[in-house]
Amino acid sequence: MNCEVCQLKELEVEHFEIREVLRCILHTILFHRALGLVRPKDVDLELFEITYVQCGDVELEKKIDEKIDQFIDRVEKHPNKKNQICLSFYEEKKQAVWFTNRVERLYWEQWYINLNVAQQPKSHSGKSHYSKVVVDPGESALEERSHRRAALEASLREVLFQIIKFVNEKKDHVPPIPNLEGVSFLYEITIPSSSDSAFGMDMFKRMLQTGHPTMLS
Amino acid sequence: MSMALYHGNTQSSEAAKMEQIITEFFAKSRQIILESRCPHVSSRNYSGEQMMSSPSPSSSSSSSSSIRGRDKWFNLALRDCPAAIESIDFWRQSNLEPMVVDIILVQRLSDWDPMSYSPRRDLVRNLSGKERFQNCWSSEDDEFGCDMKTEKIIERWVVQYESRKGGRDCSSGSKRSIAPSLHTLYKKSILLLRSLYAMVRLLPAYKLYRDLISSGQILTFNLAHRVSSFVEPFTHREESEMQQFEFTPVETFSGRLCLSVTYRSSLLDVSSEPSTPMTPQFIQDYVGSPMADPLKRLLSFPVPQGSPCSSPFGRRHSWSHDFYTPSPPSALPSPSPAYSDSRASISKPSSHCLPPRSLPRHLPETPQRHKNNTNLDAYWPSIFSPSPSTSPPAHLPSSHKSKALLRSESAPVSIPASKLGSTPLSNNNQILPRSPPLKVKRNSASKTQRSSGLVQTSTVDKLFSFGKYENKRCSGSSGVKLSSNSSPQKSFSRSSSKLSFQDDFDDSEFSGPFVVDDDDMADRGSRPGSFDQRGLIRDPLEPRGLFQVRKSQDAAVAALVHVLKRAPPLRQDISNSIDLSPSSSHVTLTNPTEERNEKSELRVQSAVISVASPKTTSAALEELRGYREMKDLLLRQKGMRSHTQAK
Repeated sequence: MNCEVCQLKELEVEHFEIREVLRCILHTILFHRALGLVRPKDVDLELFEITYVQCGDVELEKKIDEKIDQFIDRVEKHPNKKNQICLSFYEEKKQAVWFTNRVERLYWEQWYINLNVAQQPKSHSGKSHYSKVVVDPGESALEERSHRRAALEASLREVLFQIIKFVNEKKDHVPPIPNLEGVSFLYEITIPSSSDSAFGMDMFKRMLQTGHPTMLS
Repeated sequence: MSMALYHGNTQSSEAAKMEQIITEFFAKSRQIILESRCPHVSSRNYSGEQMMSSPSPSSSSSSSSSIRGRDKWFNLALRDCPAAIESIDFWRQSNLEPMVVDIILVQRLSDWDPMSYSPRRDLVRNLSGKERFQNCWSSEDDEFGCDMKTEKIIERWVVQYESRKGGRDCSSGSKRSIAPSLHTLYKKSILLLRSLYAMVRLLPAYKLYRDLISSGQILTFNLAHRVSSFVEPFTHREESEMQQFEFTPVETFSGRLCLSVTYRSSLLDVSSEPSTPMTPQFIQDYVGSPMADPLKRLLSFPVPQGSPCSSPFGRRHSWSHDFYTPSPPSALPSPSPAYSDSRASISKPSSHCLPPRSLPRHLPETPQRHKNNTNLDAYWPSIFSPSPSTSPPAHLPSSHKSKALLRSESAPVSIPASKLGSTPLSNNNQILPRSPPLKVKRNSASKTQRSSGLVQTSTVDKLFSFGKYENKRCSGSSGVKLSSNSSPQKSFSRSSSKLSFQDDFDDSEFSGPFVVDDDDMADRGSRPGSFDQRGLIRDPLEPRGLFQVRKSQDAAVAALVHVLKRAPPLRQDISNSIDLSPSSSHVTLTNPTEERNEKSELRVQSAVISVASPKTTSAALEELRGYREMKDLLLRQKGMRSHTQAK
C-alpha cells in the first residue's frame, strides 16, 4: 500500500492564531476522511472570515484540541520558527512474528501542516518601538496588523483549497470504508520534533519511514 | 446504457445500483449547493425561522436530530432543503441530462422607488420561468417584487454524467476487471461530495449567503438560484471574470460522474456595499433604539442611497418594530392590517388592492414552511425510494420500462407509472400547486402576527398612493351583498384592506363600527396616524404643521388593536348581512349555481373571520328555503282560494 503525503503550504501565524488555524485545517482534513455517516457542522472562525466543516464528533474535537495544546506547548518551549504537525491515517495489521503478536501500522496517508510562528515577544516589542517613532503609532500598527491578517486569511483559504484538491485527485489509496459512523479510519496526530536546522532532514526521514511502514514498528 | 446491455443478473443489478448512486449523487450535490446558497430555503437560517415561522410541530428542526433514510446516502446527513428536493425527479428520469445550478446575484438598483412599484406581475413570470427551468421558489421574487434589479450569475455548478458510448464494445469479462467496483464508485462519490461540501463554503458567494442569513432581510442584494438542464453560455466578458474548478470525475463502468463549478472570484463590489452606508451611531439616537434588537438593527445596514429606508431616520424605529418583530412585545400594532390584508387576499387573490410589498415578506417563509410539511413528510417518500436507509442500491428485477439509465428501476419501491412517464413539465405541475400565490397568502393569514408588520407598511404605501379615491373605488366594488353603507362589512370585505387600516388609525372613530363616509375620508390625510405613516415613507423630513397629534400615533394604534381584538362587529356583520337581507338571498336561491357561488363566497370570507360563520350561512339558507316553501304554499292556497272564489 502506498502512502500519499501532502505537504500543506506554510502559514505565517502569530501565536494567538495557532489554535484557530490548526483547528480549521485539522477538522477540514478529517471531514474529508470521515467517510462514515456524519452530520456536518459549520464552524465560523473568529479571526477570519472563513467557515470550515467539522464532522460533528465530540470525541474528535476533544482529541484535536488536546493535540493543539501540546503543539502550543511545544512552540512555547522551543521557539523555533518552523513548526509542524502531522496527521496520519493508517490501518492496523496483526502480524505473528516468532511467538509474539505484533500490531503493525500501515500508513496510507499523511498530512503535514507547516506553521511559521512569529516570534511573539520580540517582534511585538520591536514593532511597537518602531511605531512609536513613527508619527501615528496606533494606526500604522493596526494597519499592518489587518494587512497581515488578510494575508493569512488568504493563505489559509489556499491551504483549504489545497486539501480539497488533494482529496479530489487522490482517491485510489483510500482503503474501503469500514462500516462505522464518523471518522471511520484510524488516525493519529503527531508533532514531529524538529529544530530549525534539522527540519528538512527530519521530514525526509519521515517520508522514508512512511514509504516503508514496517520500519516504524 | 440500458440494463439490456448487461448480461446476467449480477451485472444488471450492479448497473441498477450504479444508476441509483448516480441519481442520488445528483440529488445530494444539488442539496449541498442550495443549502448554502438560498437564504430562504436553508435551514441554517435559524433567525429567519424563529422570526417567521409558527410553532409548527413538523418543522424541520424537530427532525434534525434523527438520521433519516436519505441522509444515509453518501454518509452525509444534511438538513432539510425543500428547494433541493423539489424538482430532482426530473434528473431521476434522465440522468444523462446535465444538471446546471446557477446561483444568481440579484441586486436592487439604487434609484429604486417604492412609488413606482407595480403589482406583482413577477409572480406570473416566475411561474412560467419555473416550468422552463425546473425552478423552485427562487428568492429573487421574494425579496424584490419589482423589475428594478440586476441579475448576475456568480456561480454555475454543473453536475453531469458522461456516458461512455463505446463501453459496450468491450467484452464483459475484460471490462469488469478494469471497471471500478460498486464499492469504489460509492466511496469515490462520497469523497467527491465531501469536497463539494467544503468547497461550497470556501467560494466567495458563501459570504454573500452568510450576510443574507445573518442580517435579517433588508439588503441591497439577494441570491437566487436556477436549476436547469442546459447551459446558457456566458459572454466572453463574463467568462473572463470567472474561474473554474473541476472536481476530479468519478469513473464508473459506463461513464464518469463530473462536477465542476465556474465562479466569480471577486464579489467585492457587492459584498462591500451593504456594510458601508451607515454607522450604528445614527440609530442609537432613536427613541426605542433598534440597537436593542439585533434583528432590528440590521434594517439600517444595507440601505442604498436614496432608497426609501435610508431617509426616514427619525421614524425608523416604528418601522423596524413592525418589520421585524414576529409578535412585538407590546403586540399592538400588528393584528389589524394583517387581518384586513389576509381577508383581501383570500377573497381576491389577484386584486390590485393587494399591496405588492406584502408579498415578499410572506413568500420566503411560508411556501417553504408549506413545503416542509407537505413535500418532505408526505410528498417526498412517494418520489424517492423511501428506504434507501437500509441498503442504498436496492434492485428491482423486472424491467418494464426502458429508461435510458434505469433510473426508476433501481428504486426499492416502485414509483407510480404516471410519475415515471411524466415529462419534466408535468412534474413541475405536481410541484407548483403546492405554492400557488393564493395558498401562500392563505397560509400567511394564519400567521397574522408574523406578517403583520410588513403588511402594515405596504398598506401604508397604498394608503398614500391611492388615498381616498381608492377608498371610494374599493367600497364601490366591494361586494354585492353590501346592502347599506352603514354596514361595517363595507370596509372589511375583499378589496378594501386599506380602508380598514385607515379606520384603524383613527382612534376617535371607534365609537361606531368602521363607518366610512366620504367626508371622513377627505379628512383622513391630516389624521395623526395615517399622516404620520405617510410622511415616514414619502418625505419624512419635510416639516408638517399637522403633527400636533403625532405622539398619539401609538395610542391610535393601541386603540385600533383594542378594537380589532374585540372585533365583534365582523362576525355579527356577516350573519347580519345574511339575516337581514333574506329577500335578496331569496332571489338567488332560485338559481342553484348562484346559490353555490354565494355560499362559497360567504365561506371564503367567513373562513377568515370566524369558523362559526359557515354554519350560520347554511342555517340562514335553510331558513330561507323554509320561507320560500311557506310562500309557495301561501301562493298556492291563495290561488286555490281565488280559484274557488271564481268558481
